[in-house]
Amino acid sequence: MKRGFKGGRGAPHIIAAAALCIGVAGAVLSADTYDAADSWWQAGAKRVMPANAEYEDGLGRVRVVNADGPFETQGHPFFTPLGTNGRACVTCHQPANGMGLSVETIRRRWEETGGKDPLFAAVDGSNCPSLPQAERASHSLLLDRGLFRIYLPWPPRSAAGAAIQPEFTIDVVQDPTGCNTDPAYGLQSKTPTISVFRRPRPVANMKYLLELPHGVPPSEFLFYNDKSLLPRNPETGGFASLQLMSDGRDLTLKIQARDAALNHLQAQGAVSDKQLSRLESFEKQVYAAQSFDKVGGELTGEDSPPGLGPEALERGAPARLGNNPINRIFGSFAPWQGIPEKAQETPEQRAQRAFRESVARGADIFYLKRFMIENAGKYNDKGLGNPFKRSCGSGCHNTLLMGMDLAPGYMDLGLNNLPWANARPDLPLFKVVCNADAAPQSYLGRVIYTHDPARALITGKCADVGASMTQQSRSLAARAPYFMNGSAANLRELVDFYDRRFNIGYTEAEKQDLVNFLGVL
Amino acid sequence: MIASIIGVAAGIAGAAPPAGTHVSFVACPVARDTGPDTDVCFFAEHDGNRYALANPPDWGVPQLKHRVLVEGRVKEGPLVCGAIAIEGRASVLAEIDESCSVIIPFDGVVKGESGGVFNRGTPQQRAFAEDLARRSAVDPRLSLEPAILDPPPSPTPTPPFGARELMIAYPYNSDRGSGPDMLKLKDLAGYARVAKARSVRVVGYRAISRLSDGSEMTEGAGIAQARAIKVAAILCALGVDARVTHVSWNGGAIAGTGDDDWRNRKVEVEVTP
Repeated sequence: MKRGFKGGRGAPHIIAAAALCIGVAGAVLSADTYDAADSWWQAGAKRVMPANAEYEDGLGRVRVVNADGPFETQGHPFFTPLGTNGRACVTCHQPANGMGLSVETIRRRWEETGGKDPLFAAVDGSNCPSLPQAERASHSLLLDRGLFRIYLPWPPRSAAGAAIQPEFTIDVVQDPTGCNTDPAYGLQSKTPTISVFRRPRPVANMKYLLELPHGVPPSEFLFYNDKSLLPRNPETGGFASLQLMSDGRDLTLKIQARDAALNHLQAQGAVSDKQLSRLESFEKQVYAAQSFDKVGGELTGEDSPPGLGPEALERGAPARLGNNPINRIFGSFAPWQGIPEKAQETPEQRAQRAFRESVARGADIFYLKRFMIENAGKYNDKGLGNPFKRSCGSGCHNTLLMGMDLAPGYMDLGLNNLPWANARPDLPLFKVVCNADAAPQSYLGRVIYTHDPARALITGKCADVGASMTQQSRSLAARAPYFMNGSAANLRELVDFYDRRFNIGYTEAEKQDLVNFLGVL
Repeated sequence: MIASIIGVAAGIAGAAPPAGTHVSFVACPVARDTGPDTDVCFFAEHDGNRYALANPPDWGVPQLKHRVLVEGRVKEGPLVCGAIAIEGRASVLAEIDESCSVIIPFDGVVKGESGGVFNRGTPQQRAFAEDLARRSAVDPRLSLEPAILDPPPSPTPTPPFGARELMIAYPYNSDRGSGPDMLKLKDLAGYARVAKARSVRVVGYRAISRLSDGSEMTEGAGIAQARAIKVAAILCALGVDARVTHVSWNGGAIAGTGDDDWRNRKVEVEVTP
């Protein structure tokens, strides 16, 4: 069903079907449905977070399951401004975007508010706080690529605040935003700060990110990469998975929430323990995935692949290795292979059948088609060998139902570092020179040009320059652009990047199959 | 890069050394594609012979862009990766060497074997996976049931508790232990806890490798310390009492003989109840 519910003007009708259908594999769920233009969740608005809602996106609809059931958002810390700039967590983690934030939504918000929405706060919603905030150009990275400014101390500090002696020096080669050379905000300021620009990650399907990995021992306590210890979770005393953030700087949902309130929401005081607990509880039970495709139709139901839709994520076992003949990362797509033609098939039915078969072919390509993965720092050199011949699914995207690297480990796929990164004159470019006695980045050496040193901004290690944690592959249709720096505007550009980076040689038909496959996740 | 490899692809030029012959040399690894559904394998050339570079699991696979230190002895048996099999270790050297760039395309002759869930793990894990494969072919929903069960926990040690030792060997100039060795370390930590060890001694070493041409390679001065401290930190994190853990390292490098010198790059752990 579909209703034109106007966000913020009234409570949506709540469907309890999600609770009823938990554990019923393949059930088609009813849900509230929102037009894309109606779907903005304003910080502090009085609304109801429904148990189950669908939101239109470019390819169809994304469904968000709020597994613990509906609640009034007023006063809930995820939906309430906790700082001084008017933002709430939901500002950058919109249900309509699979709990992430698409650049389409950002642009629409700019047009609707004339750039006055707290989303565009100077602190990180502009290219640099020192720029004239009323001008569109001052927010170009957010409006064009969906990128927020992440500002980090340089040299890095440990979680306890102790200074870390980095293994490298860093110089600004290109500074289109002006922020890294800004006298108040840059590397030479009183509080030396480095600014990089990154996409927000979706706050959904969190159990898969938080659980320590199964199936890749001894990763329950060690990094697979170098067999050093995983960091401790300060709340439980156990080890932390490190999957939460692209650079691993915050280990738990509570730490991340505290950090986000301080930096993104500009909170003046500490977030209370009660608020942190409510944030954690909410975030741990939200699931999001594409549920409907404009051509392919309903993605869940008796005749659909079992891994599609958010209910599969809610039911699924977290942190499992999927690169094996049984667990094909996102499950079997056999239901969409060789679909029999119906008698007197309508054009729509024919198109749907063709699309579904294309998705199934795309799944096979993702799961099975091997290529040479070469010269990926912190990947080929973590014992795997260079080259390492694997498919997308059996290589870097091996977590069952989610598609992160389970190991866990950081890697430089070429998103940030030259010469592999897409041309990005809009981003800062840094020259990293590593100490002679430091272990070099395995394939780039000790002089590296990078748009974002990524993990190395946390560890200070030369070998970590440009390395980031792979992220989940769900709700992609709802939250373009892709990659941590927004380099791929759409799924085709994402596929093209990998095809170029690893010289895979996908055919046009294979690329389209992959795009269709990724679009239904 | 798939390079022109006419010279490399030519047959083995030298006479194959007899089984047991020690070899120790530094060379570029050559990667060989073994088929569309299988991994690449590696070999290296030395004195006109090709030697297969096969390490134990997770000890570190050779990398193009880096030379390898090969230390081992010739094994009886068929060729591996189209090269002479050796028992030993191949260590990836940290510095970049752009000349190490050759990949031999699949020639239809040297074929790899597909790995997977059906030929790893315990018999119980494999039996479970095989049964799940049969059932998921009928019911696709089962494709989301984890096929790889967690390994069963190691049995709790029981008295009498005697002294136990573990030796962990490392690649050249590296403090990265292999996954299997780290699992042994985990078990030893459990043993030390249950046995209420009075002493846990951790000693790190570095070593000299003597090559077949008579030259020597000496590991960096800090590596023995790095190895020892890393192992001690892991033991401590796994619950071993830091008050009884004694960490030391050998400042000098163990002299090489050219015979399995890789065994001297190590950490020794000794648990005394």
